[in-house]
Amino acid sequence: MSTSMVEVENLSKSFGDNLVLDSFSMSVAKGEVIGIIGPSGSGKSTLLRCINFLEKPNAGVITIDGERITIDSHSPSKISGNKIAHLQSKVGMVFQQFNLFPHMTAKQNIMAGPKYVLKEKVEVYEEKAMRLLKQVGLPEKADAYPEELSGGQQQRVAIARALAMNPQVMLFDEATSALDPEIVGEVLAVMRTLANDGMTMLVVTHEMGFVRQVADRVIFMDQGKIVEQGDPAILFDKPTQQRTRDFLSAILSHTD
Amino acid sequence: MVFNVVNAKAALAGLSMGLLMTIVLTFLCGITSLTAGIFVALAKMSKIRILRFAVTCYVTIIRSTPLLVQLIFIYFALPFVGIRFGPFMAAYIGLSLNVTAYLSEVYRGGIEAVPKGQHDAAAAIGMTKSTAMARVIFPQAFRTLIPSLGNYVVSLFKDTSLASTVTIQELMFKGQIAAGATYDYMTIYIMVFVMYFMVGFPAIQLVTYLEKRMKNGYARKKMTPENGEVSA
Repeated sequence: MSTSMVEVENLSKSFGDNLVLDSFSMSVAKGEVIGIIGPSGSGKSTLLRCINFLEKPNAGVITIDGERITIDSHSPSKISGNKIAHLQSKVGMVFQQFNLFPHMTAKQNIMAGPKYVLKEKVEVYEEKAMRLLKQVGLPEKADAYPEELSGGQQQRVAIARALAMNPQVMLFDEATSALDPEIVGEVLAVMRTLANDGMTMLVVTHEMGFVRQVADRVIFMDQGKIVEQGDPAILFDKPTQQRTRDFLSAILSHTD
Repeated sequence: MVFNVVNAKAALAGLSMGLLMTIVLTFLCGITSLTAGIFVALAKMSKIRILRFAVTCYVTIIRSTPLLVQLIFIYFALPFVGIRFGPFMAAYIGLSLNVTAYLSEVYRGGIEAVPKGQHDAAAAIGMTKSTAMARVIFPQAFRTLIPSLGNYVVSLFKDTSLASTVTIQELMFKGQIAAGATYDYMTIYIMVFVMYFMVGFPAIQLVTYLEKRMKNGYARKKMTPENGEVSA
C-alpha cells in the first residue's frame, strides 16, 4: 500500500452503555475507495461521524493526511474546537438527508465553505462553484433554492458543497438511501466519476452493485468491529464468515 | 355631544407630541431588545455555567413580575440606594430589560428548533461553532421568528403607555394631562385610543403579512398561472 490517507487506531465510541465502535482500526490508502456495509446499528455511520469528529470518540487515534489526533479516554473533550474545525475542512461529508442550507441557493451552498472557512476571494469561489455545479451536472440550477430541487439534485449539490473545500477524503453516509430508486443512479454516477478521478472515499451504503463495481475494498462491519474485508468480487462471492454470508444473502435476496 | 371638537383641537398638538415620544421610545427599546435578546439567548445556551445561571435568574425575575412594578422600582426605588436615572433613562432601561428577557426566550426557541443536520453540515465543511451560528443556524432561526418578534414589538409599542407612570411625556401621559385640564375624558381618550390604533393596526397588518410570506418558503416563486400563484 502507498501512503495512508486515513488511519484509525483502536477507535471506541459508546452511547451510554451501548458500545457502538469497539477498538476499531483501519487504514485507508490515498485514492482508495472503500465500501462499508453491514446491518443497521453495526456502527458504520458512527465510524464516519467519528472520523469527521461530528461525534467525539471515547478513545483512539485518528490520523488524516498526516495530522494525528489522539483521543484520551480520560479527557475526551480536550481537543480544541479550532483543531477539529481544521480537520473537518479536510474531510468532506455527504449525508443521507442532504442537509443543504435551505436559506441559500445551490451556488451559495457550494460557496459557503470557500467563503466563510477558506476565506477565498470572490472570483475564486464563484468560479469554483460554477465549475462544481457543472461537474455534478446542474449548472442551470445555480440560483435554485434546495426546496426547488429534487432529492437527487439536492444530493448532487451537497456533494459539490463538500468538494468545494478541496477535501482529501470524502465520506458518504448512506448518500442514496433517502432517494427514490429511479434517481439513485444520478448520484451514484457522480460518485463513480469522483472515484475514477482518484478521490479517497469511504462509502457507507446498501448499494451492493456500486460497491462491487467501484470499491477497491469492502469492509463488512457488525457490532462495532470489522467482521471481514477484502476485494469486493471475492468477498461478495466467497465470504468466509457466516455472519457475512447471512447479511449478503438477506440483502441480495431483497434486491433481486 | 360626546366628542367635543374644540377640546379635541386644543389637545391635538400635545397628544401628537406624546405619540411621537411613544414611537421614539418603541423604536429605541425595540432596537435594543431585538439585539440584546440574541446575546442573552446565546448566553443561556453557553457552556459557561455561571453565565447560564446569571441569565436564567435575570429572565426568570423579569418574566415573573409585572412590567409596571419593574418600571416603578427602577425610577422610584433605586434612587434610595444611590442609583438615579432620569425619567427617559428609567423608562428606556426598564422597557428594554423587560422585552429583552422575553425576546431571548423567543430567539432560543428558534435557534434550538433548527435541525441537528444543519449543525452537522456546517461542521462538516469546517465551520467553527460561531461561524455556523452566524451563517447557518441563526439566519434560519431568525426568518421563522420574524412574525413572533414583530408581535413583541407591537406589544412593546402598547406597553410604552406604562412609562407614563415614570413621568415620560408619551401619548398616555399627554392624554392624562389634557383630560385633567378639560375634564372631557371622553373626547381626549377617544383621541388617545384612535392615535394608538392608527399605529398599532398597520403594525399588526404588517406582522400578518410577514407571517404569510414566511410560509411561502425561501424561493420567491415566479407569478405564473402554472404554479397557481395568480388568483383567478
